[in-house]
Amino acid sequence: SVVRCQHYPPVRALQASAVLRRVSDEHKKEPFTPSSQQQFDTHPAGHQPEQEPPQGPRPSYTGQGGQESEDYESEEQLQRRILTAALEFVPEHGWTTEAIAEGAKTLGLSVAAAGMFHSDGSELILHFVSECNAKLSELLEKEQKLVQLGEAEKKPTDEFLRDAVEARLRMLIPYIEKWPQALSVLLLPRNIPSGLSLLTSMIDDIWHYAGDQSTDFNWYTRRAVLTGIYNTTELVMLQDSSPDFEDTWRFLENRVADAMNMSSTASQVQSTGEAVVQGLMGAAVTIRNLAGLNQRR
Amino acid sequence: VYQVFESVAKKYDVMNDSMTLGIHRVWKDILVHKMNPSPGTLLLDVAGGTGDIAFRFINYVRAVRERQLQRKLKHHQDLSWQEIFENYQEDKSDSLGDSQVVVCDINREMLKVGKQKAQHLGYSKGLSWVLGNAEELPFDDDMFDVYTIAFGIRNVTRIDLALEEAYRVLKPGGRFLCLEFSHVSNPLLSRLYDLYSFQVIPVLGEVIAGDWKSYQYLVESIRRFPPQEELKAMIEDTGFFKVDYENLNFGIVAIHSGFKL
Repeated sequence: SVVRCQHYPPVRALQASAVLRRVSDEHKKEPFTPSSQQQFDTHPAGHQPEQEPPQGPRPSYTGQGGQESEDYESEEQLQRRILTAALEFVPEHGWTTEAIAEGAKTLGLSVAAAGMFHSDGSELILHFVSECNAKLSELLEKEQKLVQLGEAEKKPTDEFLRDAVEARLRMLIPYIEKWPQALSVLLLPRNIPSGLSLLTSMIDDIWHYAGDQSTDFNWYTRRAVLTGIYNTTELVMLQDSSPDFEDTWRFLENRVADAMNMSSTASQVQSTGEAVVQGLMGAAVTIRNLAGLNQRR
Repeated sequence: VYQVFESVAKKYDVMNDSMTLGIHRVWKDILVHKMNPSPGTLLLDVAGGTGDIAFRFINYVRAVRERQLQRKLKHHQDLSWQEIFENYQEDKSDSLGDSQVVVCDINREMLKVGKQKAQHLGYSKGLSWVLGNAEELPFDDDMFDVYTIAFGIRNVTRIDLALEEAYRVLKPGGRFLCLEFSHVSNPLLSRLYDLYSFQVIPVLGEVIAGDWKSYQYLVESIRRFPPQEELKAMIEDTGFFKVDYENLNFGIVAIHSGFKL
């Protein structure tokens, strides 16, 4: 199962701050969490405006106090650490302050630290989405390198899209029960800009790596088509009870095939755009119904 | 300051209601909602005399705990009656989920009134009453999850010392919350507020509590208190992070929040 093993060392008190750690300590004591650190380096395209690029030195750090400018981690970095730790508790508590409080506890912080975040769990969800997108980018980058080195075959577009969307959606599996709740929170007016920008940059990423020049799609249509495919597949996945979600992947295969077929006729491309928009509207209504408008808080 | 509160203790709640036209209850509710405590939180309420914040905290935590238990039960739909019964038994003794409030006040009279109120309203578990000075708290370091001071920091001689003490007794990640009268920036409202403060409040003080001077002192201390931004800077200087304030009623009252990070 996809279990996030976060082994954070007990937080040490430092002169100026009780919790914010020296960036150097992060490297000395956490040799086994490179994945959680690295993802903030890849593809800033997927990042929200308030997430700053990681401060201080990264892999090339010497550890002798050479870098003086950014010694301590920032509040934002600490918040990200708390949110990452909180993900482990989401299957049990949902995308809530409780999960964040439990996450804070594992880092040695008081449960009151969850007060730093909004009470509806928005930041936790957005953090998760952003992390997943970063992981996807990393994956696609690796695959591209293999192709460039000649160690792998370049996949045809439809297979590429299918695999990319499947990989991304599989990241939801550990949280699939609570995902409808997350989607409904992402639809709150406050979260729509961030949620949408994360979605579109992920879609753009996939197309970037697909590197497809042969179809007749223009850029907007490509984005719209893949967004439609992604969103509808996501919804199907939420209601799929087949073993290992095989129904979902079959649905995905069909949608991608439809999209490929449509590239041949220009007028069909236009109607696809309209159909996709309608599909998205319908999807939004479905999500609200699925989540039962969980906004009593 | 001590004598002001000695004479004021018994009539404190009544005066609060009449001076603020009962809105102080809403302010205190907002404070606890902002805190959003989860069960298991250890709260230190300083200058909390008559227990207003403490009681609200207990109510809130109890409600959250009940919801938690209900949700747990919903997932246990396939249990036998015996198991459900056992679940209820063990959870009953845990209605607060280990949450606790320590009410600390410099004034014995205020604490006495608070204890009486608690008894009268039926609050027994999870409450402690301690005599202490905000500038020198009788607690160890890193003890509490949340530190609140509602309408008390104004009366502290050395605010910076009180803030440092707050920082000391909070756990890493702990939260500092301060509810206090502050500055109204809106000029029209400011004039009306001044009128009300200086003309009406001391009169009420005389009529209800028989004490003009104490309430005049009160109004003047409000005017002398640093405004929102200045208090925010002081809190930041003490070492708190993510310091922010929220104005209630256009600045008549403000809630400052900071985290020990």
